[in-house]
Amino acid sequence: MAKLPASPEKLISDFGPHLNYAPQEGYPGRDEPDASVKTHCCFCGMQCGIQLLVKNNKVVGFEPWMEFPFNEGRLCPKGIQRYLQDNHPDRLLEPLQRVEGEGFKPVSWDKAMDRVTSEIQRIQDAYGKDAFAVLSGVSLTNEKSYLMGKFARVAIKTSNLDYNGRLCMVSAGAGNKKAFGLDRTSNTYADLEHAEVIIVAGANVSETFPTLTHWLWRARDNGAKLIVIDPRVIPLARTADIHLPVKPGTDSALYGAMLKYLGDHDMLDHDFINNHTTGFEETLSAVQDYTLEWAAATTGIEIEKIRQAAELWGKAKTSFLLHARGIEHHSKGVDNVLGCINLVLATGRIGRPYCGYGTITGQGNGQGGREQGHKCDQLPGNRDITNPEHRAYVAGVWGIPESELPGKGLTAWELIEAIHRGEVKGLLSICFNPLVSLPNNNYVREALEKLEFYVAIDFFLSETARHADIVLAGSLHEEEEGTVTTAEGRVVRIRRAVTPPGNARADTAIILELAARLGAKDKFTYADSEAIFNELRVASKGGTADYFGITYKKIEDNMGVFWPCPSEDHPGTPRLWEDKKFATPDGKAHFNPVKFKEPSEVTDAEFPVVLTTGRVVSQYLSGSQTRRIGKLVNLIPEPLLEIHPALASTYNIRQREMVRVTTRRGTAEFPANIVETIRKDTVFIPYHWPGKKSANQLTIGTLDPISKIPEFKVCACRLTPLGVISTPGETHAFDSI
Amino acid sequence: MEVTAYKTNMEFFVDMQRCIGCKACEMACAECETNGQESMIHVNYVERAVTIQTTVQVCMHCDDPVCAKVCPADAIAKDDFGVVQSANTARCIGCSNCVMACPFGVPKKEEKYDMMMKCNMCYDRTSAGKKPMCATVCPSQALFYGTREEINRMRPNSTPVNTFIFGQQVVTTKVNIMMPKGSTQLKVH
Amino acid sequence: MQFSLNRKAALIAFFVTLACVVISFYGSRKLQNFDPALIAYLFGTLFALFGGVYRYCVWLQRPPTWMYFKRTWQFVFTGSFFTHAWFMTVDAVKNLLFQRFIYPRGKKRWLAHFMLASGCMAAFAITIPLTLGWINFTLDPGTALDPGATNLYYANFFGFRVMGFKLGSPLAFLIFHALTWCSWAVIAGAVIFLVRRLTNAGLIASQTFEGDLLPLILLIIISVTGLGLNFSYAFMKGIAYDFMSVTHAISVILFLVWIPFGKFFHIIQRPAQIGAHIYKKEGQKKGMAVCPYTKQAFTTQLHVDDLKTVTKQVGFDFTLEDGTSHLDYSPEGKRDLLALAHLKARQEGGSFFG
Repeated sequence: MAKLPASPEKLISDFGPHLNYAPQEGYPGRDEPDASVKTHCCFCGMQCGIQLLVKNNKVVGFEPWMEFPFNEGRLCPKGIQRYLQDNHPDRLLEPLQRVEGEGFKPVSWDKAMDRVTSEIQRIQDAYGKDAFAVLSGVSLTNEKSYLMGKFARVAIKTSNLDYNGRLCMVSAGAGNKKAFGLDRTSNTYADLEHAEVIIVAGANVSETFPTLTHWLWRARDNGAKLIVIDPRVIPLARTADIHLPVKPGTDSALYGAMLKYLGDHDMLDHDFINNHTTGFEETLSAVQDYTLEWAAATTGIEIEKIRQAAELWGKAKTSFLLHARGIEHHSKGVDNVLGCINLVLATGRIGRPYCGYGTITGQGNGQGGREQGHKCDQLPGNRDITNPEHRAYVAGVWGIPESELPGKGLTAWELIEAIHRGEVKGLLSICFNPLVSLPNNNYVREALEKLEFYVAIDFFLSETARHADIVLAGSLHEEEEGTVTTAEGRVVRIRRAVTPPGNARADTAIILELAARLGAKDKFTYADSEAIFNELRVASKGGTADYFGITYKKIEDNMGVFWPCPSEDHPGTPRLWEDKKFATPDGKAHFNPVKFKEPSEVTDAEFPVVLTTGRVVSQYLSGSQTRRIGKLVNLIPEPLLEIHPALASTYNIRQREMVRVTTRRGTAEFPANIVETIRKDTVFIPYHWPGKKSANQLTIGTLDPISKIPEFKVCACRLTPLGVISTPGETHAFDSI
Repeated sequence: MEVTAYKTNMEFFVDMQRCIGCKACEMACAECETNGQESMIHVNYVERAVTIQTTVQVCMHCDDPVCAKVCPADAIAKDDFGVVQSANTARCIGCSNCVMACPFGVPKKEEKYDMMMKCNMCYDRTSAGKKPMCATVCPSQALFYGTREEINRMRPNSTPVNTFIFGQQVVTTKVNIMMPKGSTQLKVH
Repeated sequence: MQFSLNRKAALIAFFVTLACVVISFYGSRKLQNFDPALIAYLFGTLFALFGGVYRYCVWLQRPPTWMYFKRTWQFVFTGSFFTHAWFMTVDAVKNLLFQRFIYPRGKKRWLAHFMLASGCMAAFAITIPLTLGWINFTLDPGTALDPGATNLYYANFFGFRVMGFKLGSPLAFLIFHALTWCSWAVIAGAVIFLVRRLTNAGLIASQTFEGDLLPLILLIIISVTGLGLNFSYAFMKGIAYDFMSVTHAISVILFLVWIPFGKFFHIIQRPAQIGAHIYKKEGQKKGMAVCPYTKQAFTTQLHVDDLKTVTKQVGFDFTLEDGTSHLDYSPEGKRDLLALAHLKARQEGGSFFG
């Protein structure tokens, strides 16, 4: 509601971000822990196995978990430091309420809950059910994701529920559903090991999924050729066989030209195309004009490199294609994804050992979270909320008439727009920090300031939660039992290592009580997380993401089970499509014609430089957790503007000189890092920082028409050097204003 | 000293071309109980302005450690397993002779302690039969700790090399660097 | 390790020990003030002196040590002597008396070490002169004969009266119990260290019994038996006095004999830190070495030049073909050069992997 309740300086001094470091000799008890809890890292879709060391109900350290098959003890810096989010001085220990002029003051759970329920009822009585929205997130477990979907629809009865996966891989999800009828990576990463050719498109694996590097390097030890498609020479690209430095926003031109090349040179699997796919002819004819020359001119890649890449891909016997946000965060994200899938289908290299394809899901439970129904168009089991059969089934599981189940609501960015327009008046958020992670920060802030009531469930006071009326102190990953589904589609167990500190409560307990107070107690009675999972199993039964045959015990016994797993005696499905029976209505994989389109904003005389954004290895998403961990902050203390020396020299920009970057949405200033490892027409800024350091002050909110993902990865900017050399240092916490 | 569990068949193999510069090793090293939140491993850009290349350097544990020889305080010793231990805290006078003489640029002067600290191959872990923390977590396996058979099986086209040429000086080490098959030495200068 | 006798060192040690005997002979007024009960301690002390000096001289002869030793005194005696003397005094108070460099390694560690070190040093300062007969106490005959007067004691140094104090005065209490205070300090420090060494996993992994635990145990035994002697005499009518006395003597003598060889040698070594500080300070005045690869200053040019000499003296030659040296490069530069050489080898080999 309205502006911040106190100065940002005051809020920061009360609630951080403060930097947490381990004591010099470690936390007491690390050498003799009460327990080492085998669970998973919370900081990306790899969900690496890790053991948390617990002493006196506190997490005091970690120990690698050597047996977990994906990572075998390997971890990235975030994983190693993850335990420092426990025992953190910023941790919210009790519910807070906004006090004008003072900030946030503790309030009893009873009063906080009363306030929340009465405001929900007031807003819904005055403006209608959909005037109260829910924003959720996929760092939540499957159980909590499922619960949020049911809670929004059954207890709050709003259709306006969406989640931060909307900024993640929805383009991939939509593309996969179109092509395969199902949204999951087709193989485990172990299938990389003997792939002959691997394409990694728009995925900075070594910074965003460091532990996946092992599997790529294993493949290369076995002779695999690696093709990296990225505007920057990322660490993966340095030693790659072919690096295609694509101009941001032109990916689909590259895939189109490669497909034409495969067609022209008959590097096609005709049997597969004829027997198991549809739409090939239209798809091929859509790219008939996409010659290598045209592609080279469009993408800015040397023609010979494109030819070599197409040759390698065309001639391979086994292959794996991986992509991530680099091609998905576009107003044509789905097109880009389909362009990749077309290359896979044309060569028929799927559903066999060492032949794979998939998006690398970014968030901790990015895979599972997008299947359990807390997105605006979807019900558990990855069911469609507009499909009458699907609706009836889930309504049955939930014990409500189908007519009472709300319909499709607005997506995350559209919700912010609706709030900005004054149509949505109230908001409940969990596990989402849109003020940092959505494009066009200034617009998002204006929207938050227009809310009549905002309640946030969080364990730290995130930048967004500073705008809340009530903050409910929730729980960390390691404070509740549950499951998540890794980027491979492996359902794994998250263990409770400790209970929430102080008066903080488990997220589940908070949701269940809110549901009860909203009059839906009978629909929300669960003894524990496993009970929620068991209902989820039933709700997903028969859906594409079928979890019915997965039980806690089965997961624990096997260190994970791959969905779909339709019955308890089913072993799970590590590799999809081995029977060539796709999940589409006709059972075939679908080619989809992809015509090249320009990005929503192209460079011009006024804004002549391409701006793209991405991540750094030491931060996770909007940084609400990782910007509070001392060593991770020290590793990369501030966002730098990466710029090629040729471009820098045209503006006389010097190393570490402050540069003002201006787009049609706003301006921001960053020190320049002049490096030859980026395209000459493009600058790059990592996005994890808030306020003045936020790259998302600049990015554009244009959405993909199908997936509704915003176009984070390309917009037009201009550069103004400021003549001041900034000394290397840590970004001041007050920059988050 | 509990040394019974030290596995003499395990060796350290480094391949800095696999390094992705993520610094997991640095974070992990600081968690090692022998060095109190300080990292003893080095990861740095080779020349950031022109390349993303990073390098990673652990102590190579020289057969004839020059660091120990140039120490004016007799603070550095090699043990029976060939591990060159970090400075003896009681003796080290923080002169930095070892820091500047080490041909691999490994020892680190901790100014605030006025003392040198260096990698001791995670003695708390290796002496208990475990792998060093850095090699355990390394996502790229630029740092690998295991048997010679394992590395030969996994990387058949590379040869572990432990002879390094620095001008006139030949240095042999306990730690290996993975080189193209058939290599016998790495000539730095 | 060479076990052959180092003649030069042995000769120096012999003469230093002889000088000490001569000084003590005359200092104790031809053994008049010598306490025969301390005879065992005397020989222990003399052995420690001989061993300490011998070991120190052997140590100094090592090329890197000699380089620092030589440079330190060169700097001190050329240029402004008093500036250096002042610097050394301040540094000695900071780092030798208060061991300030330990503080950042851990507050508790510092406190423990400070108690241990100051207890030991004070005890040395009292017992060694007593043992050698340099100090003795005499009762003022006048007050001794006057039953109404409080006894007046004199402390004598080399037989010369330096001060007097009355029995029962606070000063007397402090002086006669000085060793008690030292013992408590040592016990407290040693116990903190012992607990740390028995519980800290990192230390458990890297320590040795004889190198790290035994010295602490020995110090505790010395202090406890020392206190016990006092306690037994004052409160227990001498019960177990003999046992305490023998144990105390044995442990002290062990300690003394061990100084030159074990952990305790660092007490004698530590002043070299001051030399290293002067070396760095003076070197900076002469100019910094700039790494040809990183183009950054990384240490003093003096240091690089001296190291070239020292490495050759200890059997290494990092001279490169062009006459420069690998030692001209900074640690980071060296790592980068290795990585670049490795990159080149991998590129020439045709594959980064496999």
